[in-house]
Amino acid sequence: MERTVDWLVIIPLAPLLAALVNFLVGRWWIRQQAHWLAVPAVGLSFLVSLVAAVEVLGQHHVLRQSLYTWIAAGDFHVPVELVIDELTAVMLLVVTGISFLVHVYSIGYMAHDPGYYRFFAWLPLFVFSMVMLVLANNFLVLFVFWEAVGLCSYLLIGFWFRRRSAADAAKKAFIVNRIGDFGFALGIMLIFTSLGTLEYHEVFQSIPELSTGTVTAIALLLFTGAIGKSAQLPLFVWLPDAMEGPTPVSALIHAATMVTAGIFMVARAHPILLAAPLAMGVVATIGGLTAFVAATIAATQFDIKRVVAYSTVSQLGYMAMALGVGAWIPAIFHLFTHAFFKALLFLGSGAVMHAMHDELDMRRMGGLKRWMPLTYWAFVIGAAANAGIVPLAGFWSKDEILVGAWVAGVPILTILGLVAAFFTALYMFRAVFLTFHGEPRFDPHEIHPHDPPKTMALPLLLLAVGAVLAGFVGVPPENGWLHHALEPVFEGAKHHEVPLALTLGIAIASTVVALAGLWIAHAAYVRATIDPAAMAARLGLLYRLAANGWYFDLVYQRAVVRPLDAFATWLWRNVDIAIIDGAVNGVARAVAATAQLWRRLQTGLVANYALVIALGTVLLVGIYLAFGSTLFR
Amino acid sequence: MSELSATHFLLLSAALFIIGMVGVLTRRNVLVIFMCIELMLNAVNVSLIGFAWELHQLTGQVFALFVIAIAAAEAVVGLGIVMALTRRTDTVDIDELRQLRE
Amino acid sequence: MSLEVAVFSLLALVSVLGALGVVLARNPVHSAIGLVLSFLNVAAIYLVARAEFLAVVQVIVYAGAIIVLVVFVTMLVHPDDLPEFHGRRSLRLVTGLVLGAALLAEVAAAVLARGVRGAPGPWTDEVVAAVGGNTRALGQVLYVDYTLGIQLTALLLLAATIAAIALARPEAISDRVAAARRVLTISLAHPRGLDQPELPLALPGTQDGRVKAAGGGRPIVLARSADEFTEQPAWGEWRGR
Repeated sequence: MERTVDWLVIIPLAPLLAALVNFLVGRWWIRQQAHWLAVPAVGLSFLVSLVAAVEVLGQHHVLRQSLYTWIAAGDFHVPVELVIDELTAVMLLVVTGISFLVHVYSIGYMAHDPGYYRFFAWLPLFVFSMVMLVLANNFLVLFVFWEAVGLCSYLLIGFWFRRRSAADAAKKAFIVNRIGDFGFALGIMLIFTSLGTLEYHEVFQSIPELSTGTVTAIALLLFTGAIGKSAQLPLFVWLPDAMEGPTPVSALIHAATMVTAGIFMVARAHPILLAAPLAMGVVATIGGLTAFVAATIAATQFDIKRVVAYSTVSQLGYMAMALGVGAWIPAIFHLFTHAFFKALLFLGSGAVMHAMHDELDMRRMGGLKRWMPLTYWAFVIGAAANAGIVPLAGFWSKDEILVGAWVAGVPILTILGLVAAFFTALYMFRAVFLTFHGEPRFDPHEIHPHDPPKTMALPLLLLAVGAVLAGFVGVPPENGWLHHALEPVFEGAKHHEVPLALTLGIAIASTVVALAGLWIAHAAYVRATIDPAAMAARLGLLYRLAANGWYFDLVYQRAVVRPLDAFATWLWRNVDIAIIDGAVNGVARAVAATAQLWRRLQTGLVANYALVIALGTVLLVGIYLAFGSTLFR
Repeated sequence: MSELSATHFLLLSAALFIIGMVGVLTRRNVLVIFMCIELMLNAVNVSLIGFAWELHQLTGQVFALFVIAIAAAEAVVGLGIVMALTRRTDTVDIDELRQLRE
Repeated sequence: MSLEVAVFSLLALVSVLGALGVVLARNPVHSAIGLVLSFLNVAAIYLVARAEFLAVVQVIVYAGAIIVLVVFVTMLVHPDDLPEFHGRRSLRLVTGLVLGAALLAEVAAAVLARGVRGAPGPWTDEVVAAVGGNTRALGQVLYVDYTLGIQLTALLLLAATIAAIALARPEAISDRVAAARRVLTISLAHPRGLDQPELPLALPGTQDGRVKAAGGGRPIVLARSADEFTEQPAWGEWRGR
């Protein structure tokens, strides 16, 4: 049932206004008080989202508000309408809720930063863009805000833009995203040329008219956008570098919200994918591979934020895998739980960094447990949830994905997922043990670690509670509250019967695998019965492969960046300098040469001037004589 | 051509004018150039009188009168300039008076 | 051939010869004589054309005033300093002759191929005689139809007079020239070296032609550094130390 209301616009508008005011006058009039605008704005957004969600998810209404018509050109009609169905409601809760907590956290984290007001201008701007992305009801508005979140990501990754590495990382993120967006845009254009409309409803209804080839092409192109934005396998390289941005940015954008936009978009476009089994296969494969590859890389990293970043890539791989095997609701479920524990892990690392005076290398930490108990427990909860330890959040959602892959007839992906789960537990608890356990590998007299202040601790606590409890929205598996809430959205999806034995079997397998990872991490980093260095040496090539990110960055650098750079330089030398500058300078030289030539007339000799006058006279008289009768009628 | 007609006057005028013009273009002494200019003005007068003769009009003569007056004024000013110029630069060679070049 | 044409031809011939004399004479005074000859013959031609007033004016103004002025100026301006006759620029000579020939051909073609167009006016000989002669007739036309022209010409002559007076004043020019010539040439190549306390006020032999020429005709002054003379006024009095 649909209902048109007029207060939906508050959800995007409040953060937008906060962002604008902070951006325009923040430097002079607001400065350190910028959070007073941004935090309540996002809070208001969250409250309105909550109200809307209660109605949408509780009564299965669809809320709608039409803002204005953006493009009305003949047949091409693009309205800007805010539509909240169940999927959007869940996303809104995640986005605005986590945003609110991150905003509160940032008050403490960015307190000493001179760009305080700028931070609280870009962060609400991001919330605005993400919310609009989720609220859109047609592909074009979605794409506009897809780009907008990319822009905000660039602005926030490169927040400390004077640092060379941050500026480079921001550029890398934007450019890699752009490659995905290129495919995405092609997909949207293909939709338009085949169907003549971009509105979700109309597109999904018209899908049966298209040939399988077209639908597959559309699906693959749309997924290309998700590959870029949600850091799937070939285009994930930007996410680890994006850790150059402030930690709250990583928590919000690169854990909970922006990277999930791709997953959301594919879920939203599931009718298209359902009509293209080949595309779904591609999606699942890429998702599975991403989950595995990223997990192996994470196990070799020493930078605490990088570990969490690769973990994000891995979990996104799980979500994509779920989408690819048709387990739509588990994908969204995992998105939901992942937001909690990943944000928790990032904010926890931020607290650690804050305490350790911006030290990132875990090899220089250690033993922080005794000075930062709150952070420690929050981090442990997040790590356990990520690893899928029952009964924390990650367990429920991850298992459903593994089950979904099995019943969809692709058990190999389930096995790949289990292997990745092993690595997940391994790297997660490796991080915990390296950071918090053991003897401090730094000088405690130099650095005095302590728990973060209240503004930073409170979000940690809330997220920890969420990480524990969030899984229960999907309990019992396949039949929980979330499943029923999202059912109307995914009506067309295939329903598989899931035998209880399978669910239990996978649950046991995943728990075994996770405990194995934990046990090995414990052995290596706490009890020191396994020597990590020796292990790395024994694994040799495999270890080096993982430690260097499976050489993706290197290959890109050599195969793409360097040739393009050389090409650009060649163009610069041979077109810009030689041709364009040559033409412009050539014109100048020609003018100068001509002037030099004509300069010879200016002899200064009156007699020469008189000669020229006489010559002109003779010529004029001659012309008049010859043509006079016809010239002057 | 048994009757005196404007054609005679015009041919004489042309001859005088052209001789004057060649003199202006060729000679180097500023004063000789000036005299040639007067010659050219005079030639114009001749043609004007020729028209007055042929057309039984007095307008030609009036015009020629004005030309003479103006030639006189021009002679005065021109010679004044020549004197000032030669006082400064000590030469009457028009090829040396190149100040227009800069 | 009527008498008028014969007389006219003779006068025209002499006039042209005079003109040729102007252009071809080496001495500018000879050119002036040629010019006088030409003017007087043209005056006579005016008489033939029954423009008596103009003939007299021609003699008075042209031959009487302008030629005299020209001769005066020629005498005042280094009559001994005669530039080479045709100069080094023979190209100019050839170009001038070619242009003259071309123009002559054009005008001759124009004159001989076409007639004079225009409505004949009222002033035939009888009418002129009836009015009382050329002068009176001319006066009638001039003062009735061309009054504005007379006024303007009077103004022009006034302007020319003022210009002549302004141009011919010797002292004004000399002042300016002299002031310009008072700009100093400062020589830092002091023969006595930088460590000497006393400076001569001017180079010995400043008035010697060679040194003066080296300074561009300006007085040369010694200085120990370029700054020493910054307080000196550029124009006017130069106070020696």
